[in-house]
Amino acid sequence: MIEVQQLTKHYRVHKRPPGLAAALKSLFKREYTAVKAVDGITFDIKAGERVGFLGPNGAGKTTTLKTLAGLLHPSSGQVRVDGHVPQKREAEYLKKIMLVMGQKQQLLWDLPPAETFEMNRAIYDVPRADFTRRMKELGDLLELGELVNKPTRQLSLGERMKCELAAALVHGPKVLFLDEPTIGLDVSMQVVMRDFIRRYNEQYGATLILTSHYMDDVAALCPRVIVIDKGTLSFDGKLDDLVQKVRPEKRVTLRFSQPVTREQVSPLGQVVTCEGAQAVLQVSHDQVNSVVGRALATLPVMDLNVENPPLEEVMSELFARSRANREEQAA
Amino acid sequence: MGRYLGLLSRQLRTSALLAAQYRWDFVVDGVVSLFFMATAIVPLFVVYGDASRPGIPGWSFGEALVVTGWFILLQGVLDGAVNPGLQAVIDHIRKGTLDFVLLKPADAQFLVSTARFQLWRVTSVVVALVVFVIAFSRVGRAPAVLDVAASLVLLVSATLLLYSLWILIVSAAFFVVKVDNLTYLFSSIFDAARWPSSVFPNVLRFVFTFVVPLALMTTFPAEAMLGRLESSALVGSLLGTLVFAAIARWTWLKAIGHYTSAGG
Ligand SMILES: Nc1ncnc2c1ncn2[C@@H]1O[C@H](COP(=O)(O)OP(=O)(O)O)[C@@H](O)[C@H]1O
Ligand SMILES: [Mg+2]
Repeated sequence: MIEVQQLTKHYRVHKRPPGLAAALKSLFKREYTAVKAVDGITFDIKAGERVGFLGPNGAGKTTTLKTLAGLLHPSSGQVRVDGHVPQKREAEYLKKIMLVMGQKQQLLWDLPPAETFEMNRAIYDVPRADFTRRMKELGDLLELGELVNKPTRQLSLGERMKCELAAALVHGPKVLFLDEPTIGLDVSMQVVMRDFIRRYNEQYGATLILTSHYMDDVAALCPRVIVIDKGTLSFDGKLDDLVQKVRPEKRVTLRFSQPVTREQVSPLGQVVTCEGAQAVLQVSHDQVNSVVGRALATLPVMDLNVENPPLEEVMSELFARSRANREEQAA
Repeated sequence: MGRYLGLLSRQLRTSALLAAQYRWDFVVDGVVSLFFMATAIVPLFVVYGDASRPGIPGWSFGEALVVTGWFILLQGVLDGAVNPGLQAVIDHIRKGTLDFVLLKPADAQFLVSTARFQLWRVTSVVVALVVFVIAFSRVGRAPAVLDVAASLVLLVSATLLLYSLWILIVSAAFFVVKVDNLTYLFSSIFDAARWPSSVFPNVLRFVFTFVVPLALMTTFPAEAMLGRLESSALVGSLLGTLVFAAIARWTWLKAIGHYTSAGG
């Protein structure tokens, strides 16, 4: 469905030298530097897949999505989506895709979202009957209700985002590009958005790529994760495998019937926290069984729980590591 | 074609809804603009009011008033249809939302051109008609039917010219970072169109005919209405307009290409 081969995108940025004289000179002789936003990325995505792009700010996620949507021309490499070359922006292609950007909106600010829906119906040439049915389905799934008839400027950020999604789905696209769709939303609204996106994918078999820097979005939505860092692809696979690779340890939380000291717990493994009657240990994957056995035998354990380390920690470690690697290579 | 008509009516509806929402702003703006239209006539009184002055060579007061009528009409087109759209594109570029326009399976130039209208500016048509009536009563005769027809053809071409100039300016907005003043610049240049082009020195007259074709927008239609525009000038200005429109379209496509290849 989506094939990307050795994609690069270099932005040409006009260098603005400091100082008046230099600035004047640059009026006549402009100097450019190239920002390598995407620097050789290759991946394939099958129809109906849900893929998450993870990466720190400035990694090149948005640039990759915009190239897939045909808004940017690749500097080099090949991009194909459902047989189309996106940069040609053929009407037939544009009718198959949608792009939602959490930081930008297409809804008309002073008018109700329903007006934007109608406008998009006209632009995408959607038959009236299809439009009515689809808006009904979207309205139910997103619980839009009367929101669509209130001026956009009166909606909360979360309500607006739901309507943004609906506006981008008026034409029933089969490829969804979602760039940080949950940015700035509170936790409950994030959950609503995630549920909707998953259900839309399951119901219509749409293919989707989502970028986010909330790990939870990606964990909840995307069986497959692509990690982009400084314009290059550093991981492509299952989220669990990513966690295994970065942090092969598990977190063991122990709750005791009475307070214990750090000294009592530390023989079991690396202590993350130990406060009163609760301790958290970090234990390598294959040691979990024996640690749990010893804890039960030697300490007044009331309750215990084994889980992966928090995703946010995994991510910050991943990116710290890749930065360290690069610095090592540079040195 | 039918689809684009449907789209146009959608866009007009949007503008109408916005106008209804900000009703009072529009009423105030309307009154202010009526005032400015009235003042469009004042310079003529200054020039012709004093009998000792020669006036504008080749133009009696009534005839010069016909040019003013065209100026008011075209000013209405500019403020009603052209400038609001220009502002909309500039806002798009600034906020980065032009991406949404480019994602749509419809001609982007059409979408941005029809995005905003100030509908109440149709009042300009009424005011212009009043000015024409006064002007021709001063001239002492009614315009011939054929001459009116020719001037209407020129109205279409003048509107197309104005629009093409606008597209050129919008295209510049893709390359120039600071675009706030473009609308203002455009309006100031357009102000020169209030005079018959013969008041300008030769160099400027050349510029206003062939480079920034203001003469084609007001002086030519006025002359056609007065029955003194040569048919070669009529045909020439129609052809010129088409060339101008083609250049504008080509520049627009280049600008969009630049936008997508450079990365907004
Ligand atoms: N229009 C642009 N012109 C120049 N540089 C840009 C432009 N857009 C993005 N960049 C740069 O390209 C890099 C990647 O940006 P982006 O794709 O937005 O990253 P992400 O979405 O992962 O945060 C960043 O270094 C950013 O500063
Ligand atoms: Mg981004």
